Parts: sequence; structure tokens; C-alpha cells
Amino acid sequence: MKKLLFILAAFMLVLSLSACGEESSTASEGSGETAKKVAIMTPYLSSVTTKQMVDTLEASAKEKGWSANIVDTNGDVGALASRMEDVISSKVDAIILVSTDPNQVQSQIQKAKENNILVFGSDSSYIDGMTANATSDNAEMSKLMTEYLIEQIGEKGNLIVFTHRPHPGVLKRTEMLDEILKDYPDINVITEQEIKVPGPIENARQQMESLLLANQEEGSITAVWAGWDEPAIGAAQAIEAAGRENIVVTGIDGNSQAVEMIEKGSSIKATVKQNFDGMAEIVIEQMEKAFNGEEVDGTELYAPAELIEGK
Amino acid sequence: MMIQTEKGPKKRWNINMLSSYGTIIAGILIVLIFSLLSPSSFATVDNFMNITRQISLLVVIAIGATLVMSVNEFDLSIGAMASLGGVVSAKLATEGVPIILCVLIPLLVGLFVGAVNGYIITRFNVLSFVTTLAMGTVIGGFTFWFTEGATIFENIPEGFKWLGQTVVAGIPMLSIMMVIIVLVFWFFMSQMGIGRRFYAIGGNERASRVSGVPIQRYKTLAFALCGMLAAFTGALLASRLGSAHPTGGDGYFLNAYAAVFLGMTVVRTGVPNIFGTLFGAAVLGILANGLTILQIPTFLQNVITGLIIIAALIIQKLGREKG
Repeated sequence: MKKLLFILAAFMLVLSLSACGEESSTASEGSGETAKKVAIMTPYLSSVTTKQMVDTLEASAKEKGWSANIVDTNGDVGALASRMEDVISSKVDAIILVSTDPNQVQSQIQKAKENNILVFGSDSSYIDGMTANATSDNAEMSKLMTEYLIEQIGEKGNLIVFTHRPHPGVLKRTEMLDEILKDYPDINVITEQEIKVPGPIENARQQMESLLLANQEEGSITAVWAGWDEPAIGAAQAIEAAGRENIVVTGIDGNSQAVEMIEKGSSIKATVKQNFDGMAEIVIEQMEKAFNGEEVDGTELYAPAELIEGK
Repeated sequence: MMIQTEKGPKKRWNINMLSSYGTIIAGILIVLIFSLLSPSSFATVDNFMNITRQISLLVVIAIGATLVMSVNEFDLSIGAMASLGGVVSAKLATEGVPIILCVLIPLLVGLFVGAVNGYIITRFNVLSFVTTLAMGTVIGGFTFWFTEGATIFENIPEGFKWLGQTVVAGIPMLSIMMVIIVLVFWFFMSQMGIGRRFYAIGGNERASRVSGVPIQRYKTLAFALCGMLAAFTGALLASRLGSAHPTGGDGYFLNAYAAVFLGMTVVRTGVPNIFGTLFGAAVLGILANGLTILQIPTFLQNVITGLIIIAALIIQKLGREKG
């Protein structure tokens, strides 16, 4: 029994030590005045690109001498609202929402505003109460990708759509696809499937395997349009494992795994590389302006994107 | 979940004490540590209200889980049910349906689906674990179809946010709601015959059957109430966030059971109980709140939270065996 008590006590000690560590490190960084505290918050840290952005945000914030705290709620937006209230209680100077639809935490954003806490978005979107959001122009990227894909398949064929409409960026891309497809009656959408998050690669792979089984004839599937790179990777893996050829897969985001596959000549033929580091840098830049009492450059700021295609 | 008639010898009282109060002591310790480390942010009235509001949804859904567990069953569809409750509620609100109906209709949906769960399980004598897991998948699919996968947030009237966002005299409406629900279900479980029947079934189903308790009816009632509370949680979540996400309630599922299990360690008999569940949810809520305030990285938060739950379970088990 004593041992158990000991374990419990050890826990508390670890907890309190790590807590002390955190607090003292923030205190020591301030030069003269207290260091600015920034909370970087997202439900999607397990996504490669979100993680990349969070890392860049954290590094850039620390370069400025600010303390950065990362909060991930593993896909749970309700929990994100609670954690936002917590960091508001702990009086941070700014909150960055990464890859999150701010509409879902409207009242927390208002509460932050009432407490003079700045709220930025990184690959989110802008709503009232926030200072600014940096993102890619999702509609523009989707247009770039979709037009490329349509050209590749000669404006006709059977298309599979992998998407995840609850994500605001992916939604915009999918809506742009819908819009463009209206002008191409010879392109037949076999099915649109929602890819589960977390675990999009595996989920897309499984769905693609089933779809390949259901459409075994040559030419029955011409292309796969994926709302972002991870489902494209899963689809390409399934296509390659099944030994099928002449199916064009495209993604959007330009994550490193997808780019590598494109370069090696996989079924993924192209992606649009989002400039995630650029978004993170814009956020930090604008945040510094806001901290210094200057006006920000705008509420929706775009980091430019580029098309990456294989041989 | 057996009801134990503890008649341990008096000299063992300190081990029994630990088994009964270990979790409570740990809870108090956690509060003390957070208060010491962050007196200006954690130990404030504002933050106390914050925590009560944050745990309110977990408490409501966990009370449902408590009911089902008290009849020795599981309902794994509560997370999906909460998501469904949220989107149904928000959708009705965007259609301009009176607010009272926006809350009542999801409750009825939850009550109905829960009753279906209970009916299938008791009528065909199948495992609740598997049945409700499958039902959760069905509900999840339905929710996706219903929302087309999109978050519902446009055109939600301000009135809809009343339950989730109003503060009355410094006390969040959600916290008030939580207190009312806790009291109602505490009364239901410990002061009414039905609650005692639940425990009798959970403790020894065969004996209850032999003594003529209509088990099917009581179990179905437990599932129906559980479904209703889960859907209510979803509606409250939608009101709190001013939006509803098709998987928004899923995250409550594991935490709800964690709260119930923690709550079971609070009482000597080790049965699921309403105040215990409230306490369990409070411990989870305080940990999440305090650790975030102290800027502990998320991964470490999860590790600490999980280990504390395991420790609580072990301590109680050991205490009971020795006692």
C-alpha cells in the first residue's frame, strides 16, 4: 500500500516539477518586460501538415523571444473550446488556431477578445473577433489541381472523389471541384467518399481497395481526385498493390510523402504545394505587428501555392 | 460490479480508508498542487466556474453511462449519439423551430434509439458491448448522411445559444443544468425503487430474475435514459459552441466511462454511482484545465491523466482485497 502511495506521490512530484520547469523557462525569457505568451491550438496535430505548421509557428515564436505552448485535442472540437477557455484564464497574449474552423469556437474567440487576447488563424479562416488568418487560397489551389487533372484525362472518364467536407479548407476545394465539373458532362463521378480523420491514409487505402474490386474493368476508373494528399497517398498505395495502371491520382497540400511518391513515378501524378511555412511566418509577422500596436496587413492573408507534377 | 457486503475487521480501517477515499485524496491533492503552482490563474472563482462549465457536458453523458453500468451493461454508442443529438438540435434551430423543441426532439430521438438498444440486447440476449458498438456505427453513418459531413453553424439563432452560453449571476447556465441533472438522477438512483432495482440487477441478475424482477423492462429503461442523456449532451454542446460537428460528441465516449470508473472507486461498494461520476468527471476536468494552464504539453497531459486513472483503480482494488 505504501508503495502505491509512493507511486502516486512520485507522480505528483513529476507533475509539479515539469510544471515548475515550464513556468520558470517562460519567466527567464523575458527581456525587461515579461515575455509574450502564445498558445498554439489545434485538434489535428496528428496531420503531417498541421504538425509542420505548428512546428514552424513554435520555432518562429521562440525566435521572437515569446513562449509558445502547444495544445492538441485529438480531433475533439468541444475539448478545444474548453482548452481555449483555460488558456484565456491563464492570460496568454495570443492564441493561434491551426487548421480549425473558427466558427466552432465563436464564443471562445469573443471571450478572448473581451480579455484583450489576440486570436490568429493559421490555415483556418477569419471570423469576427479574430485579428487575422493566413492560409492558402483553397479555391484557387483546387482550380489549379482540378484543371490539371481534367486535362490529363482528356476531359472525360470515371472519377472517384475522396474528401472530408467538415474541414473548411477541404470543403472549399471540393466545392470548387463541384463547380468545375458542371462544365464537363463527360466526366462521371462514380462516388464521393468521406475519408476518416485521424487515419486518412489507411482509410483511403481501404476504400480504394474496395472500389478497385468493384470496378475491375480497364478504364472503369480513370482518376482519383483527393481533397488533400493523405487520401491520395492511400489511394495510390491501393492502386499499386492491385497492379492497376492508367489511374491518375491527384492530391493537394504538397506533403513530403506525396512529393516523394510523385518524383518516384507513382500513381499520384501531381499535387499543389501549399506554403505552410509561409503561412506560419505570416502569422508570426502579423502577430508582432499587433503586439507593437500596429495595424495588421489584412484579415485574410494568402501564402502562394505551386503545382508539383511528376514525369 | 457486485455489491459487496463489506464486514472487514476494524483494525484494517486505514487500508479500507485508502480504498474508499484514495481517489478523493488524490483529487484534493491535484487541486492543491495546481493552486500552489498557479494561484493567479487556477485558484480563482472565475476558473472554478470555468471548470464546472467544462465538465457539465461530460457529467450529463457520464450519468447516462452510470445508469447502464449499474445494470451491468455497456453502451458504446453514447459518443455517436451525442454527435447526432448535436446536429439534430442545431439543424432544427437553423430551420427556425422553437428552441424548446430543438432540445426536446433530440431527447426523444436519444430516448428512442436507446430503447432500441435495450430492446435488442434484452430481447435477443446479445452482448451490449457489440450491439451498441454497431449501433454507434449506424448512428455515425446516419449523422453523416444527415449533415452531408458538414459542420452546421450558419443561421443558428442567438436564442439557441441560451442554454450553452448564458451566465446567470456569475454562474454558467450549463453548470446550473449539471447540478439539476445530478440531483434528479441521484434521487432517481438512490431514493426511488427503480434505482434500487437497477443495482439489484447489476449485482446479481439471476437472483433478480428468480425473484421476479422484470429485467428486460429495467434494462431497456436504463439504455433509453442513457441515450436520452447522450443526445442531450450533444444538444448542449451545439448550444455551447454555436455549431454542430458531425463527430463533435465522439470524444465524450471514453471520458464518460473514465468518469464512471473513477466514480466507482469513490464508494466502498464499488458500484457506479451518481455522485462518484460527478467526482470522476471533476477530476478529469480539473486535470485537463490545470495542466493546460500550467502549459504542460498535450502528450504529457494524456500520460498523466491515464496513469492517475489506473492508479485509482489499483488502489481501490488492492484495498478491497485486503479489507
